[in-house]
Amino acid sequence: MRGAGRPVPAGRCAVNPAGEIVVVGAGPAGHRLVERLHRHGYPGPMRLLGAELEPPYNRMLLPSVLERSLPAPALALPPLPRSVPVRWGSRVTRIDRPARVVYTSDGRAYPYHRLVLATGARPRIPRIPGLRDAGGRLAAGVRTVRTLASCRELPIGPVTVLGAGILGVEVALALRRRGREVTVVHRHPYPMERHLDAAAGELLLGHLRERGVSVRLSQRATGYGAGQLLLDGGTSVAAGTLLLCTGVRPDVALARAAGLAVGRGVVVDDRLRTSDPRIHAVGDCAQSGASVPTAGAAWEQADTLAELLCGGDARYRSPRPVVRLKDPELSAACLGGGPAVRAPAAGIEQVRLTDPARGRHAALSLRDGRITGAVLYGLPHAIAAATELYDRDLPLPTDRLAFLLGIPPGTDPVELPEDAVVCVCNTVTKGEIVQAWHRGCRDMAGLAAATRAGTGCGNCVSEVRRIWRTLSDRAPARSGAEAP
Amino acid sequence: MTDTLVIIGFGMVGHRLVEAVRAGDRPGRWRIVVLGEEPHPAYDRTALSAYLLGRSGSELSLVSDALWHDPLVQLRPGTSAVTVDRVRRVVVTGDGAEIGYDALVLATGARPFVPLVPGHDRPGCLVYRTIEDMDALRAEARSGHPAVVVGGGLLGLEAAGALRELGLRPHVVEAAPQLMPAQLDPGGARVLARRVTASGLRLHCGTGLHTVNEGVRGRVGGVTLAGGARLPAGIVVFAAGVRPRDDLAAGAELPVAPRGGFLVDARCRTRDPRIWAVGDCAAVEGRCYGLVNPGYRMADVVADQLLGAGRRTFTGTDMSTKLKLAGVEVASFGDAHAVTAGSYEFVQADPAAGTYAKLVLSGEGRVLLGGVLAGDTSGYATLRALIGRPLPALPEALLGRRPGLNHAR
Repeated sequence: MRGAGRPVPAGRCAVNPAGEIVVVGAGPAGHRLVERLHRHGYPGPMRLLGAELEPPYNRMLLPSVLERSLPAPALALPPLPRSVPVRWGSRVTRIDRPARVVYTSDGRAYPYHRLVLATGARPRIPRIPGLRDAGGRLAAGVRTVRTLASCRELPIGPVTVLGAGILGVEVALALRRRGREVTVVHRHPYPMERHLDAAAGELLLGHLRERGVSVRLSQRATGYGAGQLLLDGGTSVAAGTLLLCTGVRPDVALARAAGLAVGRGVVVDDRLRTSDPRIHAVGDCAQSGASVPTAGAAWEQADTLAELLCGGDARYRSPRPVVRLKDPELSAACLGGGPAVRAPAAGIEQVRLTDPARGRHAALSLRDGRITGAVLYGLPHAIAAATELYDRDLPLPTDRLAFLLGIPPGTDPVELPEDAVVCVCNTVTKGEIVQAWHRGCRDMAGLAAATRAGTGCGNCVSEVRRIWRTLSDRAPARSGAEAP
Repeated sequence: MTDTLVIIGFGMVGHRLVEAVRAGDRPGRWRIVVLGEEPHPAYDRTALSAYLLGRSGSELSLVSDALWHDPLVQLRPGTSAVTVDRVRRVVVTGDGAEIGYDALVLATGARPFVPLVPGHDRPGCLVYRTIEDMDALRAEARSGHPAVVVGGGLLGLEAAGALRELGLRPHVVEAAPQLMPAQLDPGGARVLARRVTASGLRLHCGTGLHTVNEGVRGRVGGVTLAGGARLPAGIVVFAAGVRPRDDLAAGAELPVAPRGGFLVDARCRTRDPRIWAVGDCAAVEGRCYGLVNPGYRMADVVADQLLGAGRRTFTGTDMSTKLKLAGVEVASFGDAHAVTAGSYEFVQADPAAGTYAKLVLSGEGRVLLGGVLAGDTSGYATLRALIGRPLPALPEALLGRRPGLNHAR
């Protein structure tokens, strides 16, 4: 039945028992998959179809290209083995599942034994009058920040970034470093509200403003035209260049048209199979569990799928959600998908560090000492360590303050220095209490007569007893040592 | 030769001063006269709730037999002072007697602050300051009936807890958005609020009292809050702070601070070199404290001067407190509100279990500046003593966290 009598101009039928794997989408996930298949020695043929004209590149570094701290070629992923046929600028338009063939915009058809969708995600374009021209394309001056093409040199003049999510923040800071005049317009009361809590959001806002980014918060864009972005409330900002950083949507058009199960992304199981067992999906277009993965997950998925296709028995486990802001001067991270819940819940412990003077903030939720969610800002050491512990579901060390500060943990038991005032009401130091004990004061009445300690508010009594306990614990040990 | 020291006020601080002077005055230089307006000798005002719940008045007394029988001390409870004549150096008492002094210490204390809302003086409106107030409260309290306590600070919560023990159903009205705004931060106050609510108090924070409404025969029938809500109540207890009693200042032409209180310097001296002020009535360098511990410090500072050395000054801005309010332990120590420039906060809390611990730390590293504990204050004394020192290790066990509890499953 294969091909069902259709002409198959350029495609090859699978001659190898392993069959031909066709990978749709040459972004990082597709690239990685092919590279892994090759490395694992996949015995059959494989083919990569890329819609973009350039070879694949590391999309996460696009803000660096905007900033011109990296030249565009530096983003290129390592070249694929020559034996893998790659077709650039070839957009897959249709999947014929019964025939197991994909058709491309350049009029070709490719039969597959296994098909892998790695179509990625597309920028979400908000419905704002004037953003698109009559032909439905983005109006002059409007760009997304998703492809290398969209990161070519920006025209002179002020730049407005719409959306202060993670990409908008990274882009705004990158452009400021190039000396560009930047305004950020954001619908919410603080930046990165999906990932940060209000305290961290305030610190980030302060950082953006200190770096010279003009930030307009709680403002919706209502229209675009003549180089102006109109805002609700009647004001406007100059936006000869408007960068849309308003999120992405998994690209599921092809899968949907082919009748595959689609949620927010293409739904896959733990073997990265779609509802058609011959079709897989990886990367930003795939939905594994509840959430569409980000960045690092795409690589994990590609690795797992490569192993499975080569006959291995791997399973993909959705990683615990980790989002980190990439900026040379700034560290911020969100573990667990969103700002740590504040509502009290049984068994959930909360740990918080608040240090506005030094631009540091941490808010963690813990269960049995393990992170269930966290927002960390300005704490690079803690971010690295907490991410590691979170990913591996390991408990935090006991000295959480040292952990957050990135300093060595203290190990000594708490022991008051001799001159520490224990009885505040009568200014009695620990030293005086110790001396009194050695003179034989072993109860509160005796101590009170000797030092007045404990005769005021009485709050120090527990500490006095603690000191006595320590002294009596040590005393027999010492006399024992001296005995022989 | 013996000089006469007159102390006006026989409360906790006045008593502390007598004790301190007697303890240090070996040569017997001072003959001391203590005038107390209340009929009782000095008693432990912080134990008034215990008295309300049945402890006897004599158990509250602070005065030892030795002091009663001290030939150099004359204790005169039930004697008020009406005027101070600084020129003739005499105090005129309520019964018209004149007592000459060489040194005079004002320890007149404070009176409850009652907001002048309509109906504030209806029968059934009460305060929470003296043994007589407790007797009145006991006479008015009807078990099972609702009551309103105005003030969600230290005193208000103590009063509400005691009313609950008496079987009443107290509402607490606090103008600030949280309980105990002077001592606790919002996080500690949330834990406190959850737990006292669970114990039966009904809280109304962030709202003021609008009127005290009329019930039967002109008595209290309830209150209306600023937001319009109406609460039924058979009694209203005002426990929203105190005001210094500085009435003697006018006749004596002594200066008072802008917000009340005898204005004194760091040695508790008024501008008359023979007159000092201590305790709740004293505005030390302009500030009134309204807590007993700072009052004790002031008494010690004055005793030091009366006994000769006089080098000590009052530096007692330490407002550390540890309390059990309405069954919930709370403590605040040192810089609890992180007002020190450059300080930072570390919080460890288990809201569902009802514990909260905050440390305020300074600068680089971790020098302890202060903190707030709620739900479990067992670490208070140790942490309090560590103020100003770098923490050797995070004192986990002192922060209300019981590791064994969390890992029990």
